[in-house]
Amino acid sequence: MKRVIPEANAKIAVAISRIVSQFVRRLGVGEGATLPGRILLRLYPQAMVELSRYLPVVLISGTNAKTTTTALAKEALSGSFEVVSNVTGANMEGGVAFALAEGGVRPDGRSLGIFEVDEAYLPIIGSQLETKVVALLNLSRDQLDRVSETRMTSGKWKAFLKEYPHVKVVANCDDPLIVFAAEGSASVLWVSAGLNFVLDARSCPVCGEEIEFATGQWRCSCGFKRPQADIEVNGKMIAIRDNKIEMELALPGRCNVANSAIVLGICDLLGVDLISAARRMSYVSEVAGRYRRVAVNGHQVRMLLSKNPAGWLEVFDMVGEDPSVVVAINAQVADGRDPSWLWDVPFELLRGKEVFASGERAYDLSVRLHYADIPHVVLKDSLDALRSCSNRDVSFVGNYTSFQELRKRLSGGGNPLINGIRKLGNRVLK
Amino acid sequence: MNESVRVISVLPDLLGTYGDSGNAVVACRRLALRGYRVELVIADLKTRIPFDGDFYLIGGGEDAPQAKAAELLAVDAPVERAIDGGAALLAVCAGFQILGTSFIGPDLKPRAGIGLFPCKTHRFDGPRSVGELIVDPGRDIPGVPLLSGYENHQGVTELLDGANPLGTVLVGKGNNFEAKVDGALEGRAIGTYMHGPVFARNPKLCDHFLSMVVGTMSPLEDVSLENAHKKLYDERIKEVYKG
Ligand SMILES: [Zn+2]
Repeated sequence: MKRVIPEANAKIAVAISRIVSQFVRRLGVGEGATLPGRILLRLYPQAMVELSRYLPVVLISGTNAKTTTTALAKEALSGSFEVVSNVTGANMEGGVAFALAEGGVRPDGRSLGIFEVDEAYLPIIGSQLETKVVALLNLSRDQLDRVSETRMTSGKWKAFLKEYPHVKVVANCDDPLIVFAAEGSASVLWVSAGLNFVLDARSCPVCGEEIEFATGQWRCSCGFKRPQADIEVNGKMIAIRDNKIEMELALPGRCNVANSAIVLGICDLLGVDLISAARRMSYVSEVAGRYRRVAVNGHQVRMLLSKNPAGWLEVFDMVGEDPSVVVAINAQVADGRDPSWLWDVPFELLRGKEVFASGERAYDLSVRLHYADIPHVVLKDSLDALRSCSNRDVSFVGNYTSFQELRKRLSGGGNPLINGIRKLGNRVLK
Repeated sequence: MNESVRVISVLPDLLGTYGDSGNAVVACRRLALRGYRVELVIADLKTRIPFDGDFYLIGGGEDAPQAKAAELLAVDAPVERAIDGGAALLAVCAGFQILGTSFIGPDLKPRAGIGLFPCKTHRFDGPRSVGELIVDPGRDIPGVPLLSGYENHQGVTELLDGANPLGTVLVGKGNNFEAKVDGALEGRAIGTYMHGPVFARNPKLCDHFLSMVVGTMSPLEDVSLENAHKKLYDERIKEVYKG
């Protein structure tokens, strides 16, 4: 694919992708980045390299919290840089290429790219861009029908970091699979960002023996052990070198404090003032429709997205006191076609709440809830389920496509003709 | 009735990547609902795998942990001894592979398996076998209709002389593309590529499995649970044939 295309054609390729994006957004079938990105790369295969020339880039990857951490980073760093980002969550090659095309980068030293990157694509994307910093959040089971196994991903990251020794790394030292990958780099800032889903980290990525976990520590008999944290997270307090910063985030949950600690690590490496970065992050109140409360027929619905067992452990923390919970599970390509992972989620934690099972795979969820002893009602249509809640405060927890679907419907998609076109569009985009 | 039974979840920290630990949950509950006193033993890396269990459940997992699990199961042969003593076993995917005579290690070289099932597994060079799987168990498992599950593996398992498959593959790949069969059935041991988990998708297979040790299973009185199972089962079969 080393075809060199003239500059005029490159401009045309960018223009076409933008038009397609507008069209996709008008139709409401997507965020308008994935398909145009694919078209852009087809017409202009070296778009990634060409469009990002002179643009220093921060890449954020991991199984969970990529989108949220990227949004926090964008906010934290936009006081110091003109930020180009893929905040819509289109995080494969096309999505990043299109974000670059949209961003209109100027080689003035003031611009910075901040991209969330799919785990499997980190080496491919990282090697094409002027990657300065890579932030590695966590690795756990997710979409096993598509993404390769976590150990394989960790090994590929490690090889990538070895090949690009100038890339600086901010990494979660509580996750052994992340440490295994990050140790490929000579320059790592370790953050104690936590690990609450231990099951995928039990056997050592170096030798296969069992890793012993104790509070704030882990080690294996082969010598592989948790590195000393450079940035410590303690409740709302983040300790970074001599600074102690209290995070007052608008976003709920302990995990978001940890995400903001990762961002402070990125800021530190880029020489950005940490206090003002922390202040900017506290303003973020929603991320691509997540976390915010929306009104639905008199209910106050907190919109949460969770797509795998590790993500669910964070969600139980955020559901908090809400007495009603609607869980919607789909199994489209973007969700992973196999919802077996529901059996790795401790749904027992929903005991005492009013629970609705929704989504295309509501029956899989219903069987799971039965075995967790959670009384529930099956209503495949999640909007119907929300309307049927008997309490005011409701948490909605969807996996990827069920979340997006509800979000679109709540944003005024009542027209059956438009909905039909959307469905058709979704099928084409799949 | 207050008979007590022991269910052993074998190395779920190594072989538990695809929700297969759900099989133990389903088996335990279906026993408990019928009045059995159930003890669930999580035999993880730290625990010696007991010989005296009644039901052994092994799941799928990644290559390196799979090889580690095979090493651990080779020490003192707990699973073979338990089966000789009357226990039943369900092994899924990577767990099924290591109980054959050979499988492929993370170094891509063949390794000796436990040899419980007369079958050997190679690594397929082409794309992974991923998707819905429908298997006709034939008459070997009386009263069990079509089985439905989800497969996700790179293995090609060849049944050797004298081996019985769990059933005929109607949709999906199963053991390999030519033979059109899935899994293996060897006395009270069941091997399969079906996740889902397979007992959650197929409660009748679970009941059959349980009956091999504790005798005939009466129908469950929990109508709501059985309805939920039926809805899921019917929907999966219908979806697959529709698509
Ligand atoms: Zn080790």
